[in-house]
Amino acid sequence: MRARRLVAVAFALAVPLVAGAQEPYPSRPITVVAPFPPGGVADLTARPVAAAMEKVLKNPVAVVNKTGAAGAVGMQFVAASKPDGYTLLLALSSISIIPEADKIFDRQPAFTVDQFAPIALISADPTILVVRAESPWKTAKDFIDDARKRSGQISYSSSGIYGTLHMAMEIFANAAGIKLWHVPYGGGGPAAQALLGGHVDALASGPAVVLPHIKGGKLRALAGWGDKRVAALPEVPTFKELGYPDVVTTGIYGLWFPAKTPQGRANRVHDEIRKAVATPDMKAKLDDLGLVGVASTPADFAKFIEHDIALQTRIIKRAGIQKQ
Amino acid sequence: MLETLGNLGLGFSVALSPPILFYAFVGCVVGTLVGVLPGVGPLAGISLLLPATFGLDATRAIVMLAGIYYGAMYGGSTTSILMRIPGEAASVMTCIDGYAMARKGRGGAALAIAAVGSYIAGTVSVVGLMLLAPPLAAFALRFGPPEYLALLLLGLFVLAYMSSGSMLKSLAMASFGLLLGMVGIDQMSGYFRFAYGVVELGDGLGVVPVAVGLFGVAEILATAGQATPPQVVKLRLRELLPSRQEWRESAAPIGRGTVLGFLIGILPGSAHIIASFVSYAVEKRLSGHPERFGQGAVAGVAGPESANNSATSGAMVPMLALGVPSGPIPAVMLAAMMVHGVSPGPLLIQQQPALFWGFIASMYVGNVVLLILNLPLVGLFVNILRVPYPYLYPAILVFSILGVYAVNGSVVDVWIMLVMGVLGWVLRKLDFETAPVVLGVVLAPMIELSLRQSLAMSDGHYGIFLQRPIAAVLLGVGLLLVVLNLYSFVRRGLDWRARLALAEKGEESR
Repeated sequence: MRARRLVAVAFALAVPLVAGAQEPYPSRPITVVAPFPPGGVADLTARPVAAAMEKVLKNPVAVVNKTGAAGAVGMQFVAASKPDGYTLLLALSSISIIPEADKIFDRQPAFTVDQFAPIALISADPTILVVRAESPWKTAKDFIDDARKRSGQISYSSSGIYGTLHMAMEIFANAAGIKLWHVPYGGGGPAAQALLGGHVDALASGPAVVLPHIKGGKLRALAGWGDKRVAALPEVPTFKELGYPDVVTTGIYGLWFPAKTPQGRANRVHDEIRKAVATPDMKAKLDDLGLVGVASTPADFAKFIEHDIALQTRIIKRAGIQKQ
Repeated sequence: MLETLGNLGLGFSVALSPPILFYAFVGCVVGTLVGVLPGVGPLAGISLLLPATFGLDATRAIVMLAGIYYGAMYGGSTTSILMRIPGEAASVMTCIDGYAMARKGRGGAALAIAAVGSYIAGTVSVVGLMLLAPPLAAFALRFGPPEYLALLLLGLFVLAYMSSGSMLKSLAMASFGLLLGMVGIDQMSGYFRFAYGVVELGDGLGVVPVAVGLFGVAEILATAGQATPPQVVKLRLRELLPSRQEWRESAAPIGRGTVLGFLIGILPGSAHIIASFVSYAVEKRLSGHPERFGQGAVAGVAGPESANNSATSGAMVPMLALGVPSGPIPAVMLAAMMVHGVSPGPLLIQQQPALFWGFIASMYVGNVVLLILNLPLVGLFVNILRVPYPYLYPAILVFSILGVYAVNGSVVDVWIMLVMGVLGWVLRKLDFETAPVVLGVVLAPMIELSLRQSLAMSDGHYGIFLQRPIAAVLLGVGLLLVVLNLYSFVRRGLDWRARLALAEKGEESR
């Protein structure tokens, strides 16, 4: 009796294994994990991507928000999930910054970048440097000159320590040889509010948050971190044009699999996503968010991330951001 | 003024069009449900429904989401009053006197007053939002970290009024709450504190699991531990309505709660929660009979319930006038606008008059809908109390666990709630009050962040709090309150607390 039951159990266990080996991919719903709350830019990027993937893969794709600890909860969740191609992660730049920061603090990282396999860069968020309209700085040069004179006295807000906005500003300060004063806030919105209220002097921000205030005459954009000028602000130069070729950084929104996911599945997803991001519908959705669709190849994305990590690490290690 | 009326006319023409009316109604119903269910608060409700609004146009989406937000404030009082289980975090204060009223058979009256107070607060504060949004938003911007810290400290001083028993015990509980609030990522350095390898603790202890645990689960445990089961409350229809006396006692608290809630709502942070705490403390301070608080004072229901409702309108001020969110809920609503290609910001009112005025008008309509929805429901909800406890409480426990889990999909949150439940039960047995713990958990992260931001701004000089006029005035008021307290304490010797304690002793010895 017992032996028969064992056999039955063994069969029950074996059936899905066999099926797993043979099933076409995808044959079950796919989950895209967004490690930030609904309504954030990560979530708003994940949803149209999921909708587009659903259409081309002819398979349900659900967005799940696993939030907490500045994204670490969701990222750790995906890192630990089964590498079967049914769990994807939509991550921001913090995926590479958080583990680097952990290293500096000598603490056990919640996850490391090599626990993930890059699929594609979906979009990039061109960051811009803004100041209040009544401030004395009309150009980036004014700003830099003044910062040289008053080293460490010009303050800026950010979305949080090691966040994209903080890193962008430090990359710029590093290249320009100036020292600025960092006051972290709990998000991009509060950071913009601090600038508007006159509590800090400058801010690196994604265009979506500050564009209305630039148009409303409250803020002035001095320069952009992007590769090209921001479409909505054609008169604002990039740092690259201003003679800082290394001051190029964007908020990155990329899709990842857990490492060890079969290469074939990663390629399959990537091919479909490339088609999806190129559709006018998706482009319109990203435009609304002030993002630029990219859809790189997995190899390009990996190279991009490698370069990004090297840059971010250099900046984090630079005096001033270490153990405050 | 004439122009405003014209605009409002436009707004009503939008708000009363059948589709908008429909979505406002759906929002209000969902909001009430989210509010009633313990654990699920407005943030969870809005977040869960946000994807469903992606197919709608911007006005419909925003009207529905706002309906969920203020609808939840109506619903939140229900379980607080009937079962001492906060439906959402802003109803914690309502648990105290609302539940005491329900035990005395005045549950229906408490529910009715909460609904009417919410209606008045909701409507009046929308008037404030409509007429004063731009200047108030400009004022809110002047609130930097030092001003905010001063305001929060003022909130802490007010704590002393919250308890009905020993001040020492309530301060001890507040300190305990502040300590619990220190768990989580240090926002200035990115360092995990007291997380013990649990990544989920990086966000700190959530207010929702802590509040539902300390109040709801502890109440269930305490009831289960009683030798004789509590009497099922018998209600007569006549008793569902508040008496003339109760109306009179609620009028002023509703008015004060409305103004207070609106002003606090404009400021960043979890405004609706803090507004309800401050309102309770103010009512207790101003009351001629502070000893009645905790024993079923109607003002302890009317004030906080009005305050949390008008705080929701206040929270819309910076969102609509500046395009900057004052807390997590307006942030989600802003995102909803951006999805639909509406760029929020200072130009929203000029560029999207139909959306802005339609939204304002829909809030007037929504509050009427909620009143019509909630008053008859009072009769229905009160019947919950007829369900025998052995059936009711396990069901509530299940709903609490589901609700707390649903917010973040996190099992860690469920454990926090259960641990807090056991802790709350122990504290009750030892005669400690748990409301100050919740306030501490809410305030600690904000106090810490604003203190350290202020010091980052001034390069470590504490003088920044005295140099900035608003901050200095707020700190001065706080200091004055403390001094006044000490004075009356010294002069009168026995204040009402001591009298109450004596009276309780007398009762026990009888």
